[in-house]
Amino acid sequence: MKLFNLGELNWRQTQLIYHALAYKNIESLVLHSSNDRYMCVGLHQDPRDELDLKYCNKNNIGIFRREIGGGTVLIDNDQVFYNLIIHRNHPKVPYTPENFFRRFLQPVIQAYRELGISAEYRPLCDLVVREKKISGNGGGEIGECKVLGGSILLDFDYERMAQSVLSSDDLRRRFLELMQNNLTTVRKELGVIPSKEEICSILATKFTDLLGPMTKGRVDTEITKKMMELNKQYSSDTWLYQRGTKQIGREIKVREGVSLFHKVFNTQKGPGGVTCEIEENRVKKVSFFNAFSLSHIDQEKLEERLIGLEYDRNKLVNEIIEMIKTHGGLVVA
Amino acid sequence: MLLEVKGMKFPLDRRYYIKDGAHMWLKPEGNLVKIGMDAFAAEMAGSLTFLNVSKRQAKSGEAIGSFESAKFVSRFYSPISGEIVTVNDKVLSNPQKINDNPYNSWIVAMKPDNNEDGCEYIIEGKDEISNWISKEIKRMEGGE
Repeated sequence: MKLFNLGELNWRQTQLIYHALAYKNIESLVLHSSNDRYMCVGLHQDPRDELDLKYCNKNNIGIFRREIGGGTVLIDNDQVFYNLIIHRNHPKVPYTPENFFRRFLQPVIQAYRELGISAEYRPLCDLVVREKKISGNGGGEIGECKVLGGSILLDFDYERMAQSVLSSDDLRRRFLELMQNNLTTVRKELGVIPSKEEICSILATKFTDLLGPMTKGRVDTEITKKMMELNKQYSSDTWLYQRGTKQIGREIKVREGVSLFHKVFNTQKGPGGVTCEIEENRVKKVSFFNAFSLSHIDQEKLEERLIGLEYDRNKLVNEIIEMIKTHGGLVVA
Repeated sequence: MLLEVKGMKFPLDRRYYIKDGAHMWLKPEGNLVKIGMDAFAAEMAGSLTFLNVSKRQAKSGEAIGSFESAKFVSRFYSPISGEIVTVNDKVLSNPQKINDNPYNSWIVAMKPDNNEDGCEYIIEGKDEISNWISKEIKRMEGGE
């Protein structure tokens, strides 16, 4: 296995490098950080649904759609990025996604602990400290390889993240609050930020402990050529904006079990929206806008019915539709 | 007729594509072949959140789409060469149907080319399927 300890890269290169290595079937650990901020969406996400594109364009925030899974993330210079590229038939590769993350996030947990932060694995692929997320991860198959991608959050621009994903002031305020309560960073935990070199060195040691010795990798002409080829593909609008599985409403996730769910219902009396704050997979708070044709009392009743429910988009939406119908409303779409 | 191994069901009215742990079932219907994921693949993946078919023409063994579960993207492969004539929109918009009932949840219907590409990786019959699944379970348990 090779170790590519690459320091700071141009934002597109931070994504292209691990895709290229996977397609070239080069088992490796890549450590790096981005010299600029950008938004990165998962393979099955469409930036038109996930981002405030106007805000991103206006603020020169790049957008990248990666080939691995997970949600929308803001990536900037305050993160150390790690990618593990490993052949899918490697004897250490578990079969299920959960076990893949559980095993290959161990070195990252160990690295956090060596820095003095007691991070723990939380299924499916978060690392948390006292229930607050400190590292988000995603994974997937690229070519013949399985790939893990994640970052060590040194610091985090909560405001920028909220502004990049939500145009509504109200939703943005709620999302910001949820993030501040459920997302922590190395700086918040330690009061200082260790050097990126030190963090990369610890990560390399911990991954070596799990996977054996690594030799120094060099980004040669073959890898560069593949990166250029992929850059062309990933830059096109046909790649970036692809409609996949249509989701019910919009979910903006903070960490596993904590998210904001928002859905607009079109009724014969015009559109109305419901926003639910989800904590530990249960509805914690509910709010309405335009509130369909429901009276204040009926809104309270619906709120009462929804609070505490286990979070399941389909069930939640059906429950709301039923309530609107019960009170003489009609959901038209 | 149904084969059941460790709670996972494998109907014997269809064939299975097994190359590199592909775990796809295929069943002819008229001049088309319906293709889906088997119970093992659905069980291993966990709750499916996204499903996408990215090709309209495929060779046997080629990735024709992707699915996501637990923030992990996996690919699924075409057992045969041919044209993808229909995509099952119901499954596409609700991939959890595959978790609920993988054998009623076909993903694509293909018009096969007249060749035997990939046929060495297609198995049928109780004994063959049983041997293969036992090996796969062993492999899975070893890897975990």
